[in-house]
Amino acid sequence: MKDPKSDANDVGMYISREKIHPREVDGPFQRLRYLAVFVLLGIYYGIPWLQWDGRQAVLFDLPSRQFHIFALTFWPQDFVYLALLLIVAALSLFFFTALAGRLWCGYACPQTVWTEAFIWMERITEGNRQKRLKLDKSPWTREKLLRRGSKHLLWIVFALFTGFTFVGYFTPILELGQGLMQLSLGFWEWFWLLFYSLATWGNAGFLREQVCIYMCPYARFQSAMFDRNTLIISYDEERGEPRGGRARRVDPKAQGLGDCIDCNLCVQACPTGIDIREGLQYECIACAACIDACNGVMDKMEYPRGLIRYSTENAMAGKPARILRPRVLAYGVLLLAVLSGITYSLTQRIPLSVEVLADRNVVYREVDWETIENVYTVRILNKDREAHTYEISVDGLPGIEALVSDEPVRVSAASTDSVVVRVRVPRSALDGPGNPFQLTLQSTADPAVKTVNTARFNGPRE
Amino acid sequence: MRASSRWLRILGGTLWPSFLAATAACVVFFVNIDPETLRMQTLPAWEIGRGTGYAIGFFMFWAVALLSSMLTLVLIDGGPRSQS
Ligand code: SF4
Ligand code: SF4
Repeated sequence: MKDPKSDANDVGMYISREKIHPREVDGPFQRLRYLAVFVLLGIYYGIPWLQWDGRQAVLFDLPSRQFHIFALTFWPQDFVYLALLLIVAALSLFFFTALAGRLWCGYACPQTVWTEAFIWMERITEGNRQKRLKLDKSPWTREKLLRRGSKHLLWIVFALFTGFTFVGYFTPILELGQGLMQLSLGFWEWFWLLFYSLATWGNAGFLREQVCIYMCPYARFQSAMFDRNTLIISYDEERGEPRGGRARRVDPKAQGLGDCIDCNLCVQACPTGIDIREGLQYECIACAACIDACNGVMDKMEYPRGLIRYSTENAMAGKPARILRPRVLAYGVLLLAVLSGITYSLTQRIPLSVEVLADRNVVYREVDWETIENVYTVRILNKDREAHTYEISVDGLPGIEALVSDEPVRVSAASTDSVVVRVRVPRSALDGPGNPFQLTLQSTADPAVKTVNTARFNGPRE
Repeated sequence: MRASSRWLRILGGTLWPSFLAATAACVVFFVNIDPETLRMQTLPAWEIGRGTGYAIGFFMFWAVALLSSMLTLVLIDGGPRSQS
């Protein structure tokens, strides 16, 4: 009988890395993973093709500094939403990690998703695990050349399409497609297309689990979010050991054996090449392939399933397991709070932003002895998708009035304009420099589109 | 295979984190500063589009972060070993 330790060593230790060919397995988790791959890739490749109101539904238009996401348009002024989005992403990661470990790694990480897709292509060209292992060792025959060649062809086409789609989030994808057909893309479009394709091809085709082991920051600090109640993939050592081969209908107890038949299928199925029976390891991305593999074996042996299963450290130690704990609840509540805050502020968003800049050269001007004047430049950003005419009014100091150059103030859709506003206040209402007043901009068509800015009015020092 | 895995470590430990840092820096920088304004104020004679501006900014950030990552690597690898 083979020593499982030595076997695990030459498969699992990264120092003597051989290419890992995970064995294909079938089972509920594997199907869930396929579903995740399908849905996530579908979203990635599909979204740029959607249209909305006569333009691309999701377009990060960097040249004109606007992000379109369906009905919403974001401007650099809306940076706070991006920041909030990152907070949501971080909180979700904390939440799901505390709950069930590296769910992200196993099902949703682009590294995993594209690796799955690339392995699938490897499988249809080079065959299943045994065939691939054999092919790796075989000399360069015609067949090997053909199989390898078609694999790389598939990979490259797929990677190029991935890069193309990526650039399609930033340049209208229909134009991009045409430009590609006519080979008339700009330098940077070519560059980013190839850059992203190359990254996809390298990461999903070659680096694979090494990205998780050497390059992934999340893999390094995820353990900080774990506790003894986090769901992890674990091997039930008490039930499985001592492991060993046996005939099908033999009672293992009579032979002094545990339930593990030492078939090594769990090791062969593992995309990172580790042996889960040695306990939770840093390399494990919680993909649950070993669970499916082992359950298949258990079914054949007519043993109960779940020798390898999702469990918690506490449950394994026979202590009561608690899934909903303060930590998980806290992350969950925070997440909900930020999400509802974002939603609320999005519904309240006013498609108008205004800056009031005082004239820096002339602090104030005396129109006549009674009246003091300050001049402001009002910069109006109409974030709406239609033009607006605005009314400017001032308020907050007795007798204050505004004279607006070129009324009416009309700003076309999604653009900026500046107007000069001369504000006059009676000397008697002023108290030296820096008197606050309010400048209001309101759309004549839609009174809800309104902003109030506070500015300062400078008068003479008494 | 040891050597290739060492190389992976070096590249994975420098190129990649500096890429992440550069992306973040690039986003924060260009949200607040329009490359077009920057060009007008510094090199008005040059014809640089926004796209090129973003790319130049990105590679500058990447280069700086890469330098820092490589220094870190040198300091960690070459220094006296800790007791453990
Ligand atoms: S040990 Fe199991 S869950 Fe972990 S990576 Fe390997 S197959 Fe996936
Ligand atoms: S698949 Fe199950 S039975 Fe087979 S070696 Fe792994 S733990 Fe043991």
